[in-house]
Amino acid sequence: MERKTEIFDSIVIGAGHAGCEAALALARTGNKTLLLTISLDAIAFLACNPSIGGTAKGQLVGEIDALGGEMGVNADKTAIQIRMLNRGKGPAVQSLRAQADKNAYHIEMKKTLEKEKNLLVRQGEVVSVEIDGEDKIVSTQLGLKYQARSVVFATGVYLKSEIIIGSCREKVGPNGFKNSSKLSDSLKKLGIKLERFKTGTPVRVHARSVDYSQMEIQNGDDDIMPFSYMTKEKPKNKAVCYLTYTTPLTHEIIRNNFDKAPAISGEIKGVGPRYCPSIETKVLRFADKERHQLFLEPEALDTQEMYLQGFSTSMPADIQQEMVESVIGMKDAEIMRDAYAIEYDCIDPTQLKPTLELKTIDGLFFAGQINGTSGYEEAGAQGLIAGINASLYNQGKEQIVLKRSDAYIGVLIDDIVTKGTNEPYRMMTSRAEYRLLLRQDNADVRLTEIGRKVGLVSDERYQTYLDKIAKMKEIEAKLEEKVKVDEKLIKLCQDNEENIPRESMKLRDLMRRNNIDIYKLDATYNLFDESEKDLLDFVNINIKYEGYLKQQQEDVERMLANENVSIPEDFDYQSIKGLRQEAIEKLSQIRPFNLGQASRISGVSPADVSVLSILVKKTNKN
Amino acid sequence: MKDCIVSISTPLGKGAVSIVRMSGAKSLDVALTLFYSQKLERENIIPRYMYFGKIKLEENVFEECLMVYFKAPFSYTGEDIVEFQIHGGVLLAQKIVEACLQAGSRLAEPGEYSKRAFLNDKITLDKAEAIIGEINAETEGELKSSLQVTNGRLASAVLEQQEQLKYLLAELEVGMDYPDETEELGLKLNVIERLQKIEDANDLILQQSQSATYLKNGINVALVGKTNVGKSSVMNALLGEDRAIVTDIQGTTRDSITESFIYNGIKINLIDTAGIRETEDVVESIGIEKSKQNLNTADLVLFVVDGSESLSEEDEEICKLLQGKKLITVVNKTDKQRVLTAQENEIEVSAMTNKNIQQLKQKIVDMVIEEEIDFNSLVLTNERQMQILKEAKMLIEEVKQKQNESLDILTMLVKRIWQTLGKITGNTENEDIIDLIFSKFCLGK
Repeated sequence: MERKTEIFDSIVIGAGHAGCEAALALARTGNKTLLLTISLDAIAFLACNPSIGGTAKGQLVGEIDALGGEMGVNADKTAIQIRMLNRGKGPAVQSLRAQADKNAYHIEMKKTLEKEKNLLVRQGEVVSVEIDGEDKIVSTQLGLKYQARSVVFATGVYLKSEIIIGSCREKVGPNGFKNSSKLSDSLKKLGIKLERFKTGTPVRVHARSVDYSQMEIQNGDDDIMPFSYMTKEKPKNKAVCYLTYTTPLTHEIIRNNFDKAPAISGEIKGVGPRYCPSIETKVLRFADKERHQLFLEPEALDTQEMYLQGFSTSMPADIQQEMVESVIGMKDAEIMRDAYAIEYDCIDPTQLKPTLELKTIDGLFFAGQINGTSGYEEAGAQGLIAGINASLYNQGKEQIVLKRSDAYIGVLIDDIVTKGTNEPYRMMTSRAEYRLLLRQDNADVRLTEIGRKVGLVSDERYQTYLDKIAKMKEIEAKLEEKVKVDEKLIKLCQDNEENIPRESMKLRDLMRRNNIDIYKLDATYNLFDESEKDLLDFVNINIKYEGYLKQQQEDVERMLANENVSIPEDFDYQSIKGLRQEAIEKLSQIRPFNLGQASRISGVSPADVSVLSILVKKTNKN
Repeated sequence: MKDCIVSISTPLGKGAVSIVRMSGAKSLDVALTLFYSQKLERENIIPRYMYFGKIKLEENVFEECLMVYFKAPFSYTGEDIVEFQIHGGVLLAQKIVEACLQAGSRLAEPGEYSKRAFLNDKITLDKAEAIIGEINAETEGELKSSLQVTNGRLASAVLEQQEQLKYLLAELEVGMDYPDETEELGLKLNVIERLQKIEDANDLILQQSQSATYLKNGINVALVGKTNVGKSSVMNALLGEDRAIVTDIQGTTRDSITESFIYNGIKINLIDTAGIRETEDVVESIGIEKSKQNLNTADLVLFVVDGSESLSEEDEEICKLLQGKKLITVVNKTDKQRVLTAQENEIEVSAMTNKNIQQLKQKIVDMVIEEEIDFNSLVLTNERQMQILKEAKMLIEEVKQKQNESLDILTMLVKRIWQTLGKITGNTENEDIIDLIFSKFCLGK
């Protein structure tokens, strides 16, 4: 007798960074959820660099945290070194980066999943997803069948993946894990268009084989900030990284072996990311550079493996050994794991709605590297949104879309579903046009309410947030007070080369002076107590940058005017007059949901958008 | 629509009156930061009434102007509209548009007034196609004027500037996206220096285009001088026929008179003004007030003095008024014995004998049109494009004031300039900057 199909509300395929967030979001909002993974030992595996955050990515983690996701909490639990990047470059671009303990990161996330009462984590390779009316039937390689209303695809780089080292090709997933060989074909059957991308990872070497005396040490910050504002105990720096360089010899070895490099010989057909080129690509493309910088990062506290950042390659193993030995301080290097390139199937993300639901089939959601993105943080962010929306879909509620002015997550998703991507997409601060508004320090202010509304922000988290807002108001109220022109004020002004005011003045107005900030005011007038100190940064930025913030806010309002004009899903671009042919083609391909999205499609001009606004109005009226 | 758009709504060129129009919820707010009239308060402004007052063109520079307010939805666009009506041609109108831009409006896009009217149900459905036609025609018109008429040279000049900005942006951005590698990249940003080069290139196009505007609309020349030095005679000599009444009685020419003549194909508009002199005569004092205003709109001032007398206190008073103006001192009555000392940029004429009148005409043209006009040179014939370049200039000036801001803010400001020029070139794709980052720098783990 055939075994009965087990029924869930939702099924998540893949337990990487996207899958974990999606599964937790679903389970925590009351959905009976099944998380299927090819290997329980690959849950939340940091397959490449052992770090979380970085420029723009730190913002993503902050946003995941504010919405009630897990990545920030897990990174704080397992961080072994933390740095704030771009400290001197202004508030908009400061981002946290943590070196995470790779083993601990996996174990802590697995524990969190196992604790979740609505969630079943199960090993199994999904071979097909079929549609049965409103239901989806998911089958594994062992013939087990599961049924759910919604499915989140978070397969990472596992679809028909192949690892390439020199002339050696293996049909496996990252780090030799088993790959997913059949699901791609099932996706094609559902009418989904696939693409083939590639990425890569560098060698891991034994810590004892490195001469650190020839390298520059990279310490963590003295004053550590955590990712999550739920983290009460600040993480500590427990490890250091090192900076080193390639040598002319390295480049010579690489040049002499170009013919054996699959990335250069044309052996690798998948499209690789420009921001993560292999070392042979760097040497080829930037031939005049005398050296390339490399970072040596500890993989975890309980291992001797060191990750050599900047040295990703798919050269044959013996040449890799030669190359590594030519790096400064690494002449005796013992390679423990070889570098490799990996090719995999992903989907063209323009097939998705901004909710990450497939345009053509309701209830199918996609998140992470399967959408042509790259990075743990990008994956986690999409996983969270896909999980939230799958949950809202199950409940028959309206799904959420974060706008470009709400979050980096909004920028990320809007970019991929509107423009598509021809390489693995990485988040960069330069992609966010409103980045002064989208800071890491205000992620909670921007997003906690949204997270609360969808049910992911716990009472405790919400209360912490409300307390913070109340405290901030208190700080701002204190700054409304006037101070007299007395010795203190005169000294403050003189010390900072500012003119002495003629009459008493609001503290807030004093802060607008170039050389005076909230810390100097506090030092002079002793305004704030210990509990308020953490928030001073935030208030300081809001006041010092008030004019610029207002400018960006105005830009946002202008953008929203277009964003609020929705275009009917069945809008007929072909039969209308007045649009240029190129615009008609692009618009019918992407089928934007509103005028704002239409305006961001490449090949659609401002005049086209003007014309479109008239046509949409006309259609709506008829 | 919340944001407020502005443009000149009268055709360029001929016409004694120009209208500058703003539309959008904020337009009255913007207008009232510029327009002053006695006892005029926001609360007591009645829609569709005309108010007489002064509009601030720049710090301490005012111009007489009429203002009308149309309250939403009873206006062409269905939004709040404010119109400024001024006497004078395109130059003055341009200045008002600039003032409105400074005060928070933005330049209207092609066909945008009609588009807004349609979206606000002020225009019926059957007109939709006509409006689409208008948008496309105006867009195409702009493209033509930048791409075809000047054989693509203007487009390539602006493109070049925008390209430079793109490089600058890529360098600014890479430092923020790849902090670990910035040191290795060894970038020298020289933001201000590089912006200055762009501004200079920008200025050149603007200057040449302005010269072209002179060709189209003529050069406005104001004649000033105390009474009885022979302003009207000089004017008549230039015109070649008697136009204004010339008498020996002080204060005969009470109102300003505009007459034009063509010299070497260039139209020159002469504005004769009342003698600038303290007076108790009300009619005359209006005329004098008007003369002072004429000075603001003139491209060039002819300061007429009597060569047979030495400089009087009154002449010196006028001199003070003329400070900073483009000026020719016309020493008249040189048929008599010269008593006057040498003057700034002077030319000796005699309106009586027509001595040096041709030379004066040449000098007027030479002074205003500094560059030889090459009709194929980089000339912006489109008003909106010219305003866009001026906007870019304003933004560059702003960055110069703020060069000590942090990198993120500087980048934001530079990006605004890039986007502004993009309104001419059509290149505003952020991805282009990212492409440049990766093609120019070796980055990544």
